[in-house]
Amino acid sequence: MRGYLFVFAQSHSEFRIPEIQSIAELYGFSLQLPELESVGPFVVIGLEKEDHARLLAKRCILLKSVYEFWGQGSTYEELHNSTRAHKSLWDPYQQDTSFRFFVTAYNHTIPQSRQRQIMEDFSYMAYLGKIELKQPELVMGCFEEYDDTRGLAKNRVKDGNFRQVYFGRLIEEGSARALIGHFDVKKRAYYGNTSMDAEMSLLMANQTKAAPGSLIYDPFMGTGSMAYPTAHFGALVIGSDIDGRQMRGKEKPAGVFRAATQYGLASRILGLFTFDMTRNPWRCGDLFDAIVTDPPYGVRAGAKRLGRKTEPSEKHKEVYRERLASGRTDQPYIPPTKPYELSDLARDLVLLSRYLLKPGGRLVFFLPTVTDEYEDVDIQSMLCEGMEVIANSLQDFGSWGRRLVTIKKTATTSFPPPVFNTNDDTSWLGPSGHVPAHKDFREKYFQGFRKENS
Amino acid sequence: MVRLITHNLLACHAKGCNANNFPLQFKDVEIEIREAEFNPDFLRGFLPKIEWKALVDSARQIGDTSLPAEQPEMVDDDFLKSLHHVLLELHIEEGSMTCPNCSHVYPISNGIPNMLLAEHEIA
Ligand SMILES: C[S@@+](CC[C@H](N)C(=O)[O-])C[C@H]1O[C@@H](n2cnc3c(N)ncnc32)[C@H](O)[C@@H]1O
Ligand SMILES: [Zn+2]
Repeated sequence: MRGYLFVFAQSHSEFRIPEIQSIAELYGFSLQLPELESVGPFVVIGLEKEDHARLLAKRCILLKSVYEFWGQGSTYEELHNSTRAHKSLWDPYQQDTSFRFFVTAYNHTIPQSRQRQIMEDFSYMAYLGKIELKQPELVMGCFEEYDDTRGLAKNRVKDGNFRQVYFGRLIEEGSARALIGHFDVKKRAYYGNTSMDAEMSLLMANQTKAAPGSLIYDPFMGTGSMAYPTAHFGALVIGSDIDGRQMRGKEKPAGVFRAATQYGLASRILGLFTFDMTRNPWRCGDLFDAIVTDPPYGVRAGAKRLGRKTEPSEKHKEVYRERLASGRTDQPYIPPTKPYELSDLARDLVLLSRYLLKPGGRLVFFLPTVTDEYEDVDIQSMLCEGMEVIANSLQDFGSWGRRLVTIKKTATTSFPPPVFNTNDDTSWLGPSGHVPAHKDFREKYFQGFRKENS
Repeated sequence: MVRLITHNLLACHAKGCNANNFPLQFKDVEIEIREAEFNPDFLRGFLPKIEWKALVDSARQIGDTSLPAEQPEMVDDDFLKSLHHVLLELHIEEGSMTCPNCSHVYPISNGIPNMLLAEHEIA
């Protein structure tokens, strides 16, 4: 393997490695990741082929560009030593390759004079080709990475006081980031207050490994935010929601179809259905390559399931029976619903996914968590046999956050349709009795995450 | 819209309705034909999931007789093309689907079937 310098966008840093891993897996090639996870934008990753770098740059939302790795150091002396050691990589361009060379910094601006000096210090490479700013055959970049000193007025960074400096040859500018604008929610023909922002929806779509011919399902479809990017990558999408109005909106045709039409993706939305995830009409399992969803956690869109909080009164039952007997169908029937607690829902979602996913298929979903209370076992506690967590990335909002969890169906066998726990008992907690911190997330959210007795 | 590909995957799920609850019967349907991308690999992969008789019967119910009564052993391009048309290009916009067993009616409006169960139908 050879080293490649990845330049990542400065958002969602916990999401970028899972994203490139998913896309590498989709195309069937391997990656060699650094042992330490970095938070800065520069990461050196091993790849077998340059083409793999191009594939990643065309598909990964968080990837801004990829360079062939020519050198690195915490000082320029180290950088030049490392660059000399990679001579075989840059040697071929010595004679008559037109080139452009730029020097830049992250978290800092390098004065012009020093930029010129830095370039001159590479004169041992003895490039004879023409310098060409517009259409060079070769682009080389040198990047100084400084610590983030935002908010530290006194400790302004000193020029040259960088953490690391990197050098390499441009292979491909990332082109997938432009999709964030393409799928901008505000420019969409149909959206609502539950819509997921475009960047996150795209990241979720990449976690599903969506590709032409994959079949993908969202059981909490709402306004369909993740359906559009997954369909854009070629997948066929099916959505369902307990509340048809979320998918439909007020105009005709239904909102999700209108938005899909705007993107030229209508033929890839295979169908939309109104039903409760826990009372679903799926005839068989092993259907989907991925399930991608943002479950309701009760803050904006309440989590509901069919049923009643309390048994209806005898009088109510009588009225209900009369109505049924009279066969009045002028009113659309709206069945009663009861609240659906988040940790119950999460477990049910994993169980249902194990039934509905093909072997090797993925469940990709958001789980809101309380920052001070979250433990990894919270996620372990909602798994069942044959389902394994392969990625877990936090988007931090301070006192709370949400985790994009990717679970793979590792089981190769089929499972019977799940029987969901309809009572509000907690026997499923098992002998360990672990209560995950996301339990009763809604209540905690509205209490401002204050701890009891404190 | 309901297409036959998804229709073939859905059975009545009312309480106690476990046998003869598939396929749901179309009634008073409005159909539109819209082109979809032809993906032979997808179709080949999906074929084992199809309940063939249900698909053929349902297609006939809505006026398409292009599929053979028996699933052919040879999967060639011609066959995949007609399968593609039946599974993906017929769109049912309005109408209803009725359970052959318990007669539950699932109405379709604006292309979206309402498959919510009433209180007495959930187990
Ligand atoms: C957070 S929203 C999903 C938003 C969606 N990703 C979007 O882009 O608009 C959750 C959705 O789950 C639906 N829902 C709640 N309980 C449900 C249940 N038991 N079964 C199916 N859908 C449910 C709600 O109606 C809501 O539309
Ligand atoms: Zn039935």
